[in-house]
Amino acid sequence: MSLEMNWKGNRATALGLVAAALLVAAVAGKSFTGMWKDDVLVPAPGFERHMLSEWHAPLAGTPADTPVYVQASSQPGGTVLVMGGTHPNEPAGTLAAVLLLEKARVAQGRLMVVPFGNHMAFTHNDPQEGAPQRIHLKLADGSTRAFKYGSRATNPIDQWPDPDVYIHPQSGQELSGKERSNLNRAHPGTKEGPLTLQLAYGLRELLVKEKVDLAFDLHEASPEYPVVNAIVAHEKSMELAAVVTMELEGQGIAMRLEPSPKNLRGLTHREWGDTTDTMPILMETANPSQGRLRGRTDEALVLTGRDKAYAKAMGLGRLFINYQGDQPLDLRVARHVTAIKVFLDNLGLLYPEKAILVEGIPDYASIVGQGTGTFLNPLGNAN
Amino acid sequence: MMTLAYRGVALLVALLVLRCMFREKDFWKQVTGALVLVPLVLRILMVK
Repeated sequence: MSLEMNWKGNRATALGLVAAALLVAAVAGKSFTGMWKDDVLVPAPGFERHMLSEWHAPLAGTPADTPVYVQASSQPGGTVLVMGGTHPNEPAGTLAAVLLLEKARVAQGRLMVVPFGNHMAFTHNDPQEGAPQRIHLKLADGSTRAFKYGSRATNPIDQWPDPDVYIHPQSGQELSGKERSNLNRAHPGTKEGPLTLQLAYGLRELLVKEKVDLAFDLHEASPEYPVVNAIVAHEKSMELAAVVTMELEGQGIAMRLEPSPKNLRGLTHREWGDTTDTMPILMETANPSQGRLRGRTDEALVLTGRDKAYAKAMGLGRLFINYQGDQPLDLRVARHVTAIKVFLDNLGLLYPEKAILVEGIPDYASIVGQGTGTFLNPLGNAN
Repeated sequence: MMTLAYRGVALLVALLVLRCMFREKDFWKQVTGALVLVPLVLRILMVK
């Protein structure tokens, strides 16, 4: 017996199906365009909001332009930049920058925060990864705030097509074509050309014109990736990074210290160090929701990092972190924030003229114990 | 320019799919056409 249904088609059924297709497209389109709206931030008092286009005018009016928040103390000192969101599918980096933005009180020097490094990558998800569009954090007052979980790459509606081979402009290094949409292969950028390269150029202009002494680029990586729970330092940042790594170790927060490879081009820890006076630092925490071994991918996985496949991989000795069944977002944010705090504390010890004092940053145990959301400001205070 | 050409091609393909759907006598092949139409519409409108 055949189960095939020989339904007849005609103009009426075609019309009905076209209407159904348009309805599905409308619903899907509403969901996709919902990601074009920026997350609302509630900066701490004292921060001024600027746009990156103030340092590279051609970015004005483009989707690559991104907010730069600046808080300066009346006490002279160093200038530090913290950038999250180079890769918006690495939420601990973004949220660590957001937490600093919403809590920091600068008592000496100047703090600059770029929470959405690649703004163009926040407006879509990676296809076929099953990632949630947003994650939600509970605040101390019981309210909830949502943050986008974006893509590693610039949205193709802003920059396309990718070539078969991406050639890094300054070095001639050849990479897979999709890397042309990866901000962390675009540094130090170019004045003209694809938006991602222009964005990188704007960031470099910011570092140079503002004489930034120390700059952070916050990331996450798969637990099976060797450079994870790690600080990657350029030669000029290495002494400071070594001191910080030892101090973190003393606090029970193990972070690997990795030298920036000289032949791996286009990344912040290499190009910012080579082309500016800044000491660049890139940091990585372990995010199971972007790993290749993961199972079901949903908001719970992003928030808890709990995954059976990773537990099994840990048993087989395949991971580069001590995975004990989970890897919560709060722990990952705490690692970033605490490491930044230790860097700030030690910057002035090694380089007194670059000293910076930032108060109000929650400590490691508080973030892990009470949750990142506890330290974010309610949206009622949004300005 | 490249984007305009892309959208033009997507529009042309969408129109051809529509033509096929209205000429097709098999309902399930019409359903297939409707499925193809969804991403084409999103691309013509530069939503995805």
